[in-house]
Amino acid sequence: MVRAPEWGMYIIWYFFLGGIAGGAYFMAAIADNFGGRRDREVAKVGYFIAFPLVMICGVLLILDLGMSSRFLNMVKILKFWNPMSLGAWAVGVFGAFSFACALLSLGVSEERLALRRNVAKVGSWFGFFLAAYTGVLLSNTAQPIWRDARLMGALFLASGASTGLASIALISYFKGANLGESWSKLKKADTFAMVVELALLVALVLMLGPSANPIIKGSFALPFWGGLVVLGLVVPLGLSFVKPGDGKERTAGGTMAIASVLILIGGFLLRYVVIMAGQL
Amino acid sequence: MARTLAMFTDTSLCIGCRACEVACKQWNQLEAETPHWTGSYQTSPHFTDKTWRHVKFIEKKDERNEPKWLLMSDVCKHCNQAGCLEACPTGAIYRTPFGTVDISQDICNGCRYCVSACPFGVVAFNHGTGRVNKCTFCVDRTSEGMKTACAKTCPTDSIEFGYRDELAAKAKKRLAELHAKGVKEAILYGEDENGPLGGLNAFFLLLDKPEVYGLPAEPTLPQKPIVKDAGLSAGAAILVGLGAIVAFRERGGGDRGGEE
Ligand code: SF4
Ligand code: SF4
Repeated sequence: MVRAPEWGMYIIWYFFLGGIAGGAYFMAAIADNFGGRRDREVAKVGYFIAFPLVMICGVLLILDLGMSSRFLNMVKILKFWNPMSLGAWAVGVFGAFSFACALLSLGVSEERLALRRNVAKVGSWFGFFLAAYTGVLLSNTAQPIWRDARLMGALFLASGASTGLASIALISYFKGANLGESWSKLKKADTFAMVVELALLVALVLMLGPSANPIIKGSFALPFWGGLVVLGLVVPLGLSFVKPGDGKERTAGGTMAIASVLILIGGFLLRYVVIMAGQL
Repeated sequence: MARTLAMFTDTSLCIGCRACEVACKQWNQLEAETPHWTGSYQTSPHFTDKTWRHVKFIEKKDERNEPKWLLMSDVCKHCNQAGCLEACPTGAIYRTPFGTVDISQDICNGCRYCVSACPFGVVAFNHGTGRVNKCTFCVDRTSEGMKTACAKTCPTDSIEFGYRDELAAKAKKRLAELHAKGVKEAILYGEDENGPLGGLNAFFLLLDKPEVYGLPAEPTLPQKPIVKDAGLSAGAAILVGLGAIVAFRERGGGDRGGEE
């Protein structure tokens, strides 16, 4: 008989937003370093998403503890191979990197952009960490479901990547950004991340076997199958195959914006279902 | 490090008087709790932040279909490989010089990671203080050379306190005795230092399978798979990252999808 840690909405939102922040940042770093001129716009949006979100993440963590001064106890020591300890540090370090990149995005000089690219090369490692470690944190507990979920970190990472890209796409769309061919690049990267995510989700459920029952059956079946699998993954994947006509970038963006909303809902439901069903 | 201390709880001697629960509450100044209907004489389903010794009343039918009781005074196992201690990010949970596991209230920040990591569901969150509690092994008594309050009180010596090596020898002797008397189902739980979790410093003699008492048959350290889990996450990061690189790459990106 194990005892649930009583993690609730603060932690669910933290896991969700942390995934987006990490994903948006490392995707921005990739667009910045491997993409062309146009993709810098994508990168800029990514950095501008990551910074405020990671700030909110810090606040959520502190709120969950109930007393702000106590958060200091978390960072007075660093325990290596301890996801909770490393994670608290990562929020801080990643916060600094995303702040730097957001700041460097304000100017247009070539030196600044070059510096931004280099900062992002280092910072993206912390972005990967932030997106994935929350899954590893869960899979290293004694709770049924979580403890057997060897792929939870990998799954959260893929979800962080797809929700990160989705939020970049959504904000770009509402900004009316002229992304041109960057739309199709965004879409391509997101489609791939979703395929990986879906594959990992299937593998995870198969590996869990009967211990996955609280997730796939019962009161969480609807948010899991209907919300995460169908609305959050299958429909957006289907939408990604809708081919826009030539020169219809705006429509392409619109389709992607719809898909992005669904992806974000799916990403939230993933954390919600996993955290709630794991503590039944 | 001083010689390791331990408690040996011999459930074959337990009469279910709950004196240990009361003694624990008195010494540690823990409030009484409203009893719960559990379907048995047991008054609460599990440990709480205020109940650190917990007497279980398990009703079973024997071979002749007569009702019989399995009684067990459960407690924190003070595991040699302790999931709670590994999980704690602040260092609030520490190993005492006696080999037991304790929580420093000043340092705990209430993150509850330890709660999720105990294979036995022992550590509990105290909503009043916003911190976690569990059996301290009466660190304030044992450091003064006194027995734990529960062991001191137990009228049948079902709970014994002492040095681990001596108690382990005693437990083995008692097990052999019971087996000789025909109580074949008797087993030791947690006595073996080469067994699960490197042995438990609060170990038990049980009269049925561990599962019957709500104990895991083979408890494992939850943090064992961390390298594997981290590796798989890194693998996913590489895969997703390469896909994105292919998608965003300027030259040769073409329209050939992102499979890498
Ligand atoms: S029984 Fe649980 S609380 Fe006690 S030492 Fe072991 S892991 Fe920690
Ligand atoms: S709740 Fe307290 S004792 Fe438990 S892991 Fe967090 S800081 Fe450590």
